[in-house]
Amino acid sequence: MELILVNIIDGLVTGLLLFMLSAGLTLIFSMMGVLNFAHASFYMLGAYFAYQISLALGFWMGLLIAPLVVGVMGAGVERYGLRRVHQYGHVPELIFTFGLALLIEELVQFIWGKNQMPYDIPEVLNFTAFSIAGNSIPAYKIFMIFISVAIFIGLLYILTRTRVGMIIQAALSYPRTVEALGHNVPLIFMGVFGVGTALAGVAGVIAGPVLGTFPGMAFVLGSIVFVTIVIGGLGSLWGALVASLLIGWITTFAKSYNLAMSDILNGIGIVTPSDLEGNIFRDIWSVTSPQIADILPYILMVLILIFRPQGLFGKRHS
Amino acid sequence: MSAPALELSGLKKSFGKAEIIRGIDLSIGKAERHAIIGPNGAGKSTLFNLITARFPPTAGTVKLHGEDLAGLQPFQINRKGLSRSFQITNIFPAMTVFENVRCALLWAQGYRYSFWHLVNRKRELTEGAEAILEQINLLPRRNLPAGTLSYAEQRALEIGITIAGGANVIMLDEPTAGMSHSETDYITDLIMKVTEGKTLVMVEHDMGVVFNLADRISVLVYGEIIATGTPEAVRADPKVQEAYLGAALEAEH
Amino acid sequence: MSQTDLPDPARPKEQITTDPSRASERLRAGGLTLTIGPWVIAAVLLAILPSIFTSNAALTIMNQMWITVVFALAYNMLLGQGGMLSFGHAVYAGVGGFACMHIMNASDFFASFPLPVLPIFGGLFGMGLALIVGSFSTRNAGTVFAMISLGVGELIAACSVIIVAFFGGEEGISGDRTYAMPFFGNEFLQQIDVYYLTSFWVLVSAVLMYLWSRTPVGRMANAVRDNPERAEFLGYSARWVRFFSFVASGFFAGIAGGLFAINYEILTEENLNTASSGVILLVTFLGGVGLFFRPIIGAIVFTLVQTVLSLQTELWAFYAGTLFVATVMFFPGGLAGLMMMHVPVFKLGKARLLILPYLKTLLPAAIGTLALCALVEMTFHVRHAASGDHEMTLFWTTFDSHTALPWIVAIAIAVVGLGIARMTAPALRDAWNEANTAGGAA
Repeated sequence: MELILVNIIDGLVTGLLLFMLSAGLTLIFSMMGVLNFAHASFYMLGAYFAYQISLALGFWMGLLIAPLVVGVMGAGVERYGLRRVHQYGHVPELIFTFGLALLIEELVQFIWGKNQMPYDIPEVLNFTAFSIAGNSIPAYKIFMIFISVAIFIGLLYILTRTRVGMIIQAALSYPRTVEALGHNVPLIFMGVFGVGTALAGVAGVIAGPVLGTFPGMAFVLGSIVFVTIVIGGLGSLWGALVASLLIGWITTFAKSYNLAMSDILNGIGIVTPSDLEGNIFRDIWSVTSPQIADILPYILMVLILIFRPQGLFGKRHS
Repeated sequence: MSAPALELSGLKKSFGKAEIIRGIDLSIGKAERHAIIGPNGAGKSTLFNLITARFPPTAGTVKLHGEDLAGLQPFQINRKGLSRSFQITNIFPAMTVFENVRCALLWAQGYRYSFWHLVNRKRELTEGAEAILEQINLLPRRNLPAGTLSYAEQRALEIGITIAGGANVIMLDEPTAGMSHSETDYITDLIMKVTEGKTLVMVEHDMGVVFNLADRISVLVYGEIIATGTPEAVRADPKVQEAYLGAALEAEH
Repeated sequence: MSQTDLPDPARPKEQITTDPSRASERLRAGGLTLTIGPWVIAAVLLAILPSIFTSNAALTIMNQMWITVVFALAYNMLLGQGGMLSFGHAVYAGVGGFACMHIMNASDFFASFPLPVLPIFGGLFGMGLALIVGSFSTRNAGTVFAMISLGVGELIAACSVIIVAFFGGEEGISGDRTYAMPFFGNEFLQQIDVYYLTSFWVLVSAVLMYLWSRTPVGRMANAVRDNPERAEFLGYSARWVRFFSFVASGFFAGIAGGLFAINYEILTEENLNTASSGVILLVTFLGGVGLFFRPIIGAIVFTLVQTVLSLQTELWAFYAGTLFVATVMFFPGGLAGLMMMHVPVFKLGKARLLILPYLKTLLPAAIGTLALCALVEMTFHVRHAASGDHEMTLFWTTFDSHTALPWIVAIAIAVVGLGIARMTAPALRDAWNEANTAGGAA
C-alpha cells in the first residue's frame, strides 16, 4: 500500500513535468499548426542556462532568469526563423524545427561539452520531506509538484480569466478575424511561442538536477512529449494533462514492480517452452516490466492510433 | 420507370445548433440539366458537399440512380458515376495540363493502383486525354504547368477534369464565377458541349447562364427549396421574386 | 490581346504555346518521356569511377554514397513524390539489413543463393514491416503521419535492444558475406567486387523507382500530394495511394539495408534509430525534395561532407546542422533547386553575365565563412582541449590557440571577407535579374 503511494508521488512528478512540456507544445500547435520539434531543446537550454546562472547567482536566480532567457530565444526563433519558413508550408516548418533541435544539441555540446553538468539540487531543498514505509520522499520532489501545479493554475487563470487570455484563445481558432479586430496577431504568435518555450525552460530548470543535465536530455524526453500529445489528442490541453499523468504513472509503476512477461503469459495459460535459450521468442519470454517501462508510452500511442486516432480528447478531423 | 439520376429526400444538415439545410426534397432525372440558384448564404455549397459526401447529412438520404449513398466516401461515390467541380479552382497546379487530365482518366480506364503499367506507353490514355483537351480547347497548352494558366483556362481545365472520368452525373459549383462576359459565353458553350446526354447539376449566380443552360431550376433560400420548375415558371413565381427582391431577376432579363 | 482571352486554335502563334513534338519542350514542362541517355551515362560513370579513384578508402566512400543514394531515393518516394514526411524511416532499412545478416548467418539453406540476390530479401523484409505499419499510419497525412512515424520508429528502435534474438542487443548482428556460393567464381572478398555489386543494385533500384513514378499509382501519388481532395474525386482513395507509396518506399529502403549488410557485415541498433532517420531526411532535403534525381545530389554531397569533414574537425555535426537549417530557411529547394534556378539563365544564353559577380561575392563570402569556422574551431579548442594542450592545427597551419594573434587574424579575415561580400551583393542581385530577363542588350 505504501509503495503505491510512493509511486503515485513519483509518477505525479514525472507526469507534471511532462505536462509542462506538452502544454507549451500544445499551445504552439493549436495556435500555429506547427509541431515544434525543438521544444525539448528549449527544455534542455533551460537546464543548462539555469546551471550556468546558478554558478554565479544561485539556484533561485537561475529559476527566475533562465526561463526568461529561453522564452526570449524562443520568441526570436519564431520571429526570424519560423515566420520565414512558414510560407513554404507545413513540411518545411517541421523540418526546420527538426534541424533546429539538431543544431541546439550541437551548440550545447559545443559550449558545455558532452559530459553531464554538476547541476545540483539547492541546499535548502536537499532534505527528506517525509518517509513512507522506509522510502524517503525528497523535499525537492514536493517542490517540483508545487511549482508545476502553480504554473498550471497560473496558465489556466491567464487563459480563461484575463483579457489577454481571451484574445489568445480567439486567435487560436480565428487568427484572421482577431487581426481584423485590430490585435497584433504576429505579436501574439511570437508571445505564445515565447511563453511555450519558457514553460519548457522552467521544466528544464527544475528537472535538470533530478534527471541530469547532459546533451542528450532533449532527445530522451523529446519523443515522449510527442507521444504524450498524440495520446492526449493534438491541440487539447486537457488531453495533454491526462496523457502526461497517465504516462508518468504507467512508467513509474512499471519500473517499480518487477513484473515478468513469463508470469503474465503463464497466468493466461501459455506454458513456458522447455528450451528457452534456443527459442526465437526467448526475449519476449524473459522481458520484465522495468525493461519495457520506457517503451510503454510508444506502445500505448500505437494502440491509440489504431483504435482512436484522434487521441483521447482530440477533435475528429471533419 | 427508371430511378432518377439524383434523388434527395428530407435532406438536413446542421453544424452545431445552426441548421443550414432544413429539409430538401429534389428529384433530378437522367440527362436533365438542373440549376440551383439562390441568394448568398442559402446553403448551395453545403448542399453540394452533402451530395458528394464531403460531410454526412444530419438527416435524410441522397440516392444516385436509386442507390443510397449513405456512408460512402467521396472516391466511392465518384466511382459510381458522380463527379464534381469546385467553386475555388481545384486542379493539380504542379502538373502539366495534359497530366491533369490524364490523372482523371486513370481510374476510369481501369488502371487502379497498378504499378506494372507505364502511363506513357498507353495509347488509350494519351489519346483519351488529348481528346478531352481538344474538347476544352486547351490542347495548345498541353505541356504547361497547370498553375500557369489564366483563371478562365484553369476553370476550363477544372471542367475537363470533372468530365474526363466519364461520370454521367456532373455537378458544377459556380463554373463561371469571376469571369467576363466573353469568358462566360465560352464556358457556357463548353459546358453544353461536354455534358451532352449527361445529367448536369449546377450552382450558378449568373442568370444568363442559368436560363441558357438549364432545363429546370431550383431556388434555394435559407436551406429550403422554395420553387422548382422550368426557368419561365420559376421566374414568374412570386415567392422567388420576393426572395430576390425582384430586382436581380429584372436586371438579367 | 487581353490576358483572359482563351486560346483560339485558329491563331496559335501569338500565344505561349508548346509544341509537344519537340523534346526540349517536353523537358521544360517536366514531360515524361523515358530517355535512355542519362541512365547509360550513369552506368558508364559507375563503371569507370573505381579506375579513377583506386584506393580502398575511396571505394568505401563511394559504396557509402551509393547506399545512401538508394535510401534517399526511397525516402523521396515518400516525401517528394507522396508528400509524406516520415521521421522514422530508418527502421525499414534497418530491419531489411538485419534480416539479411540473419540470412548470411543461417548458412545452410540460403547458401545456395548467390550473394547478389541478398538485397531482394532485405527489400522484402522492409516491405513486410511497411505493410504492417502502413496499415494504420497511412490513414493520415501531414503532421499526424509524421508523429506516428516518429513514435513507431522509436518503438522499434527501443525494442531492438530488448529483442536480442533478432537485433543482437548492444553488439548488433555481424556476419560474413562470403557465406554463399561463389557467383561466377567471385567470392566478394575484395572491396572492388563489393563496389560493382553495390553499383549494380543502385542502378537497378534507381531505374525501378523512376519507373514506379511513371506508373498509375506513382502519378496518383503526386496528385494526392498536391491535392488529396481532388484526387478523391477522380476515383482514387488518397489513403490507399499513400499506402502503396509507403510500402514501395519500405521495399527500396530494405534494399538499401541489405546493401549495407553486404558492405559492412554488421548491423546495430544505430541503423534503426531516429538519428539515422534524421540523417536521411537531412540528406534528401539537402539535395532537394521532389524531382526524382535531386536526392542523389544530397546523398553524394552529404557523404563527402561526413567522411571528409569528420576527419578534419570534431564539430562537423555542428556544421551539418547549420547547413541544414540554412537550407531550410534560405533555399528550400535544396542544392538541386539551386542548380535548377540557373536553367533559365543558361537557356537565355546569359550565363556569362553571372561569372564575375559570383566571383566577386561568393569568393569573399566563402573566405569569410571559413574564417568564421576557424573562430568556431578555436573557441571549441580553447574551451574543451585538455589543459596544457594549446596547439591546434587549422588550414595547414599550427598555432597556439591561447594567444591573441590567430584570433585577430581570423576576425579580420572574417570581417573583411563578409564585408566585401555584403558590398558586392547588390551588384550580384542586379546581374541576376539582368540574366533572367529575356531580351535586352546582347
